[in-house]
Amino acid sequence: MGEQPNTPGTTPATAQGTDDPYGVRKDLDDPFTLVIVWIAVLGLALVNVGLSFAIGPTKFTLPLQLMIGFVQAGLVAYYFMHLKQGDKVVILTALSSLFWMGILFVLFLSDYMTRHIIVGG
Amino acid sequence: MSASTHSSVLKHHFEDLGQQHACERLGIWMFLATEVLFFGGIFGAYTVYRLWYPHEFELASSHLNRTIATVNTVFLITSSLTMTLAIRAAKLGDRSSLIRNLLITAALGTAFMVMKGFEYSADLHERYVPGRMFQGEYEAALRAVFPTDGPALTKEQAEEYFKAHPDEHQKWAAELVLQNYGKSLNDPTYRDPGRVQLFLCFYYIMTGIHGLHIIIGIGCILWLVWEAWRGTIPPENYSTVEVVSLYWHLVDAIWLFLMPLLYLAGSGMHH
Repeated sequence: MGEQPNTPGTTPATAQGTDDPYGVRKDLDDPFTLVIVWIAVLGLALVNVGLSFAIGPTKFTLPLQLMIGFVQAGLVAYYFMHLKQGDKVVILTALSSLFWMGILFVLFLSDYMTRHIIVGG
Repeated sequence: MSASTHSSVLKHHFEDLGQQHACERLGIWMFLATEVLFFGGIFGAYTVYRLWYPHEFELASSHLNRTIATVNTVFLITSSLTMTLAIRAAKLGDRSSLIRNLLITAALGTAFMVMKGFEYSADLHERYVPGRMFQGEYEAALRAVFPTDGPALTKEQAEEYFKAHPDEHQKWAAELVLQNYGKSLNDPTYRDPGRVQLFLCFYYIMTGIHGLHIIIGIGCILWLVWEAWRGTIPPENYSTVEVVSLYWHLVDAIWLFLMPLLYLAGSGMHH
């Protein structure tokens, strides 16, 4: 995950030296990378709009749209939300939110999506 | 202990700034986890009804304004970029760049809400609102085709009538009436107006709650601008900007799912 040794209290061995007494610049974003990510997320949004329009509502449309959405959200989380340089506990918190949401979905979809089988409607 | 212990930013209960920043990040991430679950509940409810009534949801979605939604997507994604650049500026101690990036982010968020306002206003004008408005408009279109004091129009006549009177009936109401013409309630191609309204409930609730988050986000960003202006965001306090940015990016990420679920569900239906 591109982690750097997190040793608070030590000046990072970068060229910043005394310019950065608190060591806050050790994970400084590269603006070029941010712009590339921005273009990618924006491009995927336009691809999503274009593809949805081109193929119309089919049974593949929703999975395709959500897949694009997950890639976009992944890019936002990894680069913009700094999971790229996150502590393990932060990454764990982020992933656990998805895990709990998974439980939420599995439990109530297993109810609502099977009612017609039991009731026979 | 490092030079960080001398910073006025360091709260007394933390060992050093590294620990303080890590705690702040963890705190906001735990809040974001509750937000994911909060929206997860709404997304879950949407999933159930989308799977139950896919055709009504697609039809209802096809009448939403995709142009505004696409422009708004561009605004939000761009605002995420400027927000991240604001953190970079904060770390570098570049106060003017920090304030500039924060103001651009707030402006993009405001532009999003202004566009949303235009969109809601157009929806209201088209009476595309669940409840009395929707029902009244649908029934008016029905009565035009099946008048109480005369013979009913044939389907072809009804199509001609709606084409000739575009200002008298909303496009969505005409489409729904034509789609359901002569069909029984059990017909698989019958589109239940109640289910169409159910989609609209999701549309207003999901975009409304998301919009509320945007407004709160704009407020937090403007507070950051004020703090930066006062000079209380030195480089070692960059995490204050980062905490707000994490919230802002989450609201952006949620929009990346609202866009396909609400606006793109029925895209390409009329072509």
